[in-house]
Order: sequence, then structure tokens, then C-alpha cells
Amino acid sequence: MDHIELSLTQSLDHCIKCNICTSACPVAAVTDAFPGPKYVGPQAQRFRHEGQPVPDASVDYCSGCRVCNQVCPTGVKIAELNARARAQIVAERGLPLRNWLVARAGLVGRMSCGPHAPLLNFGLRLSPARWAVEKVIGIHRKAPLPASSTYTFRAWFRKHRAPATARRQVAFFHGCATNFYEPHVGKAAIAVLEHNGFEVLLPKQQCCGLPLISNGDFKAATSAHEANVQALVSYARQGIPIVGTSTSCTLTLKEEAPEILALHSEDVQAVAAGTYDIFEFLRSLAERGELKTDFRPIERHLPYHQPCQYRAHRLGSPAMDVLSLIPGLVLEESHAECCGIAGTYGLKKEKYQIGMDVGAKLFDMVKRSGSDLALCDSETCRWQITHATGVTSKHPIEILAEAYGLEL
Amino acid sequence: MNYETIVIGAGLAGMLAALVRAERGERVMMLAKGHGSTHWAAGCLDLLADADDPLGAINQLVQARPAHPYALAGVAALEQALARVRGVAEAAGYPLVGNAGRNLLMPTALGALRPTAFVPATMVNGEARQLGDGRPILIAGLHELRDFFPPLIAANLRAQGYAAEGVYLELPPVERSHDFNPVVMARLFERPAFRAEIGRQLATLVRKGGYARVGLPAVLGLYNAVEVVRELQALTGALIFEIPTLPTSVPGMRLFHAFEQALTKAGARIQIGGWVLRGEGSGSHLHAVFSEAASREQRHMARRWVLATGGIMGGGLRAEHTGVISETALGLPVRTPSGRSDWFQARFLDEAGHPVFRAGIAVDAQLRPLDAADQIVYTNVAVVGSALADCDPIREGCLEGIALATGFAAGQL
Repeated sequence: MDHIELSLTQSLDHCIKCNICTSACPVAAVTDAFPGPKYVGPQAQRFRHEGQPVPDASVDYCSGCRVCNQVCPTGVKIAELNARARAQIVAERGLPLRNWLVARAGLVGRMSCGPHAPLLNFGLRLSPARWAVEKVIGIHRKAPLPASSTYTFRAWFRKHRAPATARRQVAFFHGCATNFYEPHVGKAAIAVLEHNGFEVLLPKQQCCGLPLISNGDFKAATSAHEANVQALVSYARQGIPIVGTSTSCTLTLKEEAPEILALHSEDVQAVAAGTYDIFEFLRSLAERGELKTDFRPIERHLPYHQPCQYRAHRLGSPAMDVLSLIPGLVLEESHAECCGIAGTYGLKKEKYQIGMDVGAKLFDMVKRSGSDLALCDSETCRWQITHATGVTSKHPIEILAEAYGLEL
Repeated sequence: MNYETIVIGAGLAGMLAALVRAERGERVMMLAKGHGSTHWAAGCLDLLADADDPLGAINQLVQARPAHPYALAGVAALEQALARVRGVAEAAGYPLVGNAGRNLLMPTALGALRPTAFVPATMVNGEARQLGDGRPILIAGLHELRDFFPPLIAANLRAQGYAAEGVYLELPPVERSHDFNPVVMARLFERPAFRAEIGRQLATLVRKGGYARVGLPAVLGLYNAVEVVRELQALTGALIFEIPTLPTSVPGMRLFHAFEQALTKAGARIQIGGWVLRGEGSGSHLHAVFSEAASREQRHMARRWVLATGGIMGGGLRAEHTGVISETALGLPVRTPSGRSDWFQARFLDEAGHPVFRAGIAVDAQLRPLDAADQIVYTNVAVVGSALADCDPIREGCLEGIALATGFAAGQL
């Protein structure tokens, strides 16, 4: 029993059955398929034992948004309990092909990114193709799939010429989305970091493993994390911060992989302790008075959604804090628990509608704002917001780059 | 980022302290480990249980017990706090009604009558003096809602001389088939078709039974309860009142939402899910607190701090089996019965209450924490609410009263 297992088991006894988690759970609010975090978490855990069949599979409808952990007044690690319970189901029953596929963001990205991307993107916009994908694989025909990029972020970075004035170094963890779908997010991050006097290094890396974790493929997730740790640990040991724009990737490096997969080596801990979400990093610069504030005013009023995976860092709202330094810019917080996509959850045929219902509050808020632009730190959430509202969504780092007047 | 005030805790005490300071123009954050005690309580404001006139009795109490939180905050702070919290609720379209000079007696989910000073407008028609007008009362519920038994409530009310009957309604057709906790029910009551069907069933019962009043579980909508009650009254021709349920408390959540709106409007930041582990100070000045976060602690900086983390129930105090009671966020000294054997009276229901529940932080007149030698621990920290010593808020029936009075006082310092 590792220390997480022990704390998970012990935290069962901290549950006082107040139902605050169930009341806050965005999934239980919209469907009977998920009886709520209290039931599938601390309550059902008492019926789960190694070597015995899983008594109830409804935990598979947990989206992993971690709102339950956030609101629990007694510190029960509900989301971790659920993730491990799901892995036990996968271990018993095997991983469906669809989940195997959507869990492999890196593989799918690598195959779809490149000069052939426009053709692929065009193909995936055709409804017969999506119908076939739904029938054969089980990805909902309406689910928001990202458009692949014609070039990777890494290819761009290789040709990128950094300014010679850098005084300090950071290592950039771009994640699959920035590399294969949204290189512009990475470019904005590099521009902002370089503007603030950093030399940006690009370590070798692969998928952080979060989609593997949330689909219960712990074996593959473990090898992904071990490979990343091997590639990143030297930076961490030299005190070079590892900074990422995908808030769920950084959360995985910091906590989800170590805790859920029970990986606790010194290297794993060093990488966890050395990893920062980009706005967490920029906020800490601002707190020390080291962030440049040569902003052009942006006279805009924009809706901002902090992803559930960002709130799970338990850092407050770093992007709000930093963007509030831009003169003229007013952000309206969504106060929505989750957009519903939860990584790969809302792509699935049987969960698409749940995801859309979960996100309804957010979509209403974005539409009511009348804005043609929404901000959100996580890529799958941005795709979901745009899919549901038709409103363009950007990473907050793009607005920050714009405020600095940086050419991308 | 740097704040002028950080309030730790998101119960009534913390929310009011944060609001008052934010409304004075300060940069304020409210930092809490989870949802506050609002979600556990009935959503009413208890000032003092054992009195017909709570305000009068509090005036006497502050003379007799100078270390009591009411005495430290002062009666004026309590009165101003009540006015402010009623303003917050009113602004959210959810008025609180009552009078600090006279306790109301409100039926509980067991049909007992509980004294409290202010209740939401959605409950007030169930006040015992009104129930006692001799006209028949119907207590109605749904089988699907756990822990709410209309026949039990009605039987207990009858035993106390009230003409009540209990009935279960049919759940209107919904796509949901299980887990009807209070919040799920409240969301269903936000659907016009759902409440119209409930109203239709109630109207038939009222017509046949001649009921003047109908008591329902406090699940009549999360965001528009006053409107739901009004609508059901129009449909049935009877006066409708809500009866608090077991947690999660929908009326408590409404109060939380009302404060959330007010705090956002006042420009205060709210961080839920940040568990404060320790503070860092030099001498008697607290510089920073550290909250639990992914892979490392988060440091928070502020000039002034309000500790509103609650007592043993709320997790602000932790009672160890070793006989030690500790303050969980800043490690402040706790005034506590000397040994574990002194924690409890011999009798479970002893009228004097158990000494352990009066454990807490001792403070000076400005709510600054004191050590065993009565020296100020931190000059820039104010302690409010149930974390304070010399009060047993649940037994005394003053949980919300001391939270509001001290929370407001901390806002004025």
C-alpha cells in the first residue's frame, strides 16, 4: 500500500456524508448514469477489494473534473479514488478500442499533423465520415475534434531565432495540443517568455499521459510519465522551471501522474516540484516585481472560463491575476464548474450529451456576454466552448502576447 | 498577488468579514478549503436559543460573560451585521424576515420546534404561532427525497397541539430515476412544468382537506425560491412554507450564493479548495500563509488576516485523541479544558454542555489572538466565528449570531 493508497483509504473515514460533493458535481446534476462522487467514491470504495470483481461500473461516468475535491470540507480525495476505481475496471474488463485511441493524443496528433492536415480536416468535417467514425469507433458525430496543423510546434521552434538578450532559462512543455493542433499557443508563450528575458529550452517530451489516466490505461500512462520524467529531470535538478501552457498537462506532471499512478521516485518528485502552469509562473514573477508591465491597453470585456483542471492546481486564478494587469481589459469569470468535455469524456458517443448538458451554464454565459472571443486555459475546453457557442476561444497567453504588442 | 486582507474560511463569519472589507475598497480574497458551514446549516440566523427576546438576552449576556464572542464584538456590531446580511439576501431576491427582539419557532424535519431569529421568506409561513391558529396544516413530501417523512413531522406537530397531517405526493414525470438529494430536487423545482404538477396535486389536496398551510421540504428551487413559493401559493390557495432538510442544505446554499454575488460585485476574490496549512510571521506580525496545492504549497501575502475557519465541526479546531486541541491553519494557542478527562460531562445530555465545545482561541477586544499569558500572538490577525473560545455556539443557539457579529466587527477594525 503506497502512501496515496493509505491516505485514500484513511480519507474514507473523513467523509461525513454531507453530500456537498454530490451537490456540486456537474455530472450528477445532469444525469442518472452517475450517482455522484460520494457514492462512487468514499462509499463504494468500502466494497472494492483487490481480487474481487468491481461491484458497480458507474464510476466510469465520472468526468474527472475534480470539483468534488475542491468543495469537500473534510479533505477526502474523491477524484483520486474514482480514477483508481476506473483503472480497476479496465484491468478487469480491458480497454475498449475507442478509449485506447482517444487516450493516445500523441499518436493521433502525430498521424494527423502535417501537409496532409487540410485534407484530413476537410474529411472530418463531412457528416458521413463522422457518422462512420461514431458507428465504428464510438466517437460522437458532433463531438468537437480539433483541426490538425500543417506543421508542428517543434518544427517551428527549430527554425525560431531567440533573442540574444536572455538572462535566465525555462524549459517549455508544449503538450500534444500545442504541438499538433495549436502551434500558435506555443508561439505566444515563447514570445511572452522571451519578452520577459527568458531563454526558452525545448526538452524532448511525449504526451503527459493524462488521457491514458482518465481512460484507465495505467500501464501506458506509467511509461509515458517515466519517459517524461527522464527527459525533464535534468532541468528540474538545475533549477530550470518547466513551464507549460496546457494546464492539464502541467497538473499531470505536478500531481496526477505521481499520485494516481503511485510513482514517487525522487526524480518524479523533482519534476513535479519543478513544473509550473505558465500563468502560475508569470504570476510568481509579478509577485516578485519581475514581470514586465509594458502593456498596451486592451479595451475589451471578455468572458473567461477557468478550466476545472486549472482549479485542481489549487492556486486560485493565476490567469485572472496576471491579465488584470493589462489596462482596459475586463474579464468576466464564468463561475461554471466545467465545460463538460473533460479531456476525452465528452467525445464519447454515450457521454457527448452529458458533456453538453454539463457545459450549458458556461455556454449560456459566453453567449450572453455578446463577445466574439472567450478565454480559457485548456485546449479541449476551448474546442468545446467554440463548438457549443460558435464563439472563438483563445488561450489567455495569446491576449497577453497581444498586450505586449508581440509579433507572432 | 498581494492583498490588503485575506479571509480564511467561507462560512458566514468569513463571508461577511470579506464583504465588509471589500466594500471599504480593500483588495480582498476569501480563501477556503471547501464549501462552508452554510451548506450544513438550516439557512436561518440563530442569535440565542434560550430566550423569547434574543437581543434583550444578549444585552444581559455581554454583561455577565465579558469573554463571550458577543461581548467582544458588541451588540451594535451584531445589529449592523444583521442589517448587512439581510441586505445581501434581499439583493439576491431572497429576503430574510424576523426580528432580533423575538425568536420565531420553526418546525424541523422531525416536527420539533426550533427557535431562531431570522428565516428566509420561504419558511416564515410555518412559524409556530401562525401554525397555532387552529386551521388545518398539510405537511407534504416525496417518497423519493430521503430523510424527509411528512407523516412523522405531522405526528410530532400534532403531539404539540398543531392540526397537521402528512402526505406523500407523486413525483411528476422526470427523466431522473434515482438519487433525489435536496439539491437534485431543488433543480427540479426550477422547472416550471415540474412545479406546476406539484401545484396541481397540492391544489386537489387543499381543496379536499381545507388546509390553510402546506409545509414542504426546503427544496423549492436553488435560485428563485421566493418565486416558486409565490407560484405554489397562487396554484393552491394555501400558504406555503419550507421546512429545512438534512444536508446538503438548499437554503444554506442560497445564502452562500447571495454572498458569492455580493463579494464578486464588491471586487473580492474567492478561492475555494485552498487548504491553509500554516502561517509565517516575524514577531507578532503574520506575513504569509501557505495553502496546500498540487506539488507544492501556495504562498499568500496580505497585510491583514481574518481567521474564520470554524470550531471542531468546521475543522478550524482539531481534537486529537491524545487530549490536544489544535488550531489547524496558523497553529494558534487554543484555550481548552486541561485534560481529555475534562472534555465531557458525565451525562451525555448534561444541561451545562460539554467543556470541550467551549474550547477555542482567546482574543482581545480587537479579536487579536492571545496566548496563555494573554499576550497578542499576531497583531494583524482577527479571529471570528466558532473558532473563538468561551462559547458553545450550537448548544447556546448562537451559531450564526456570533459568526455575523464577529465577522462584521473584523470588517470594521
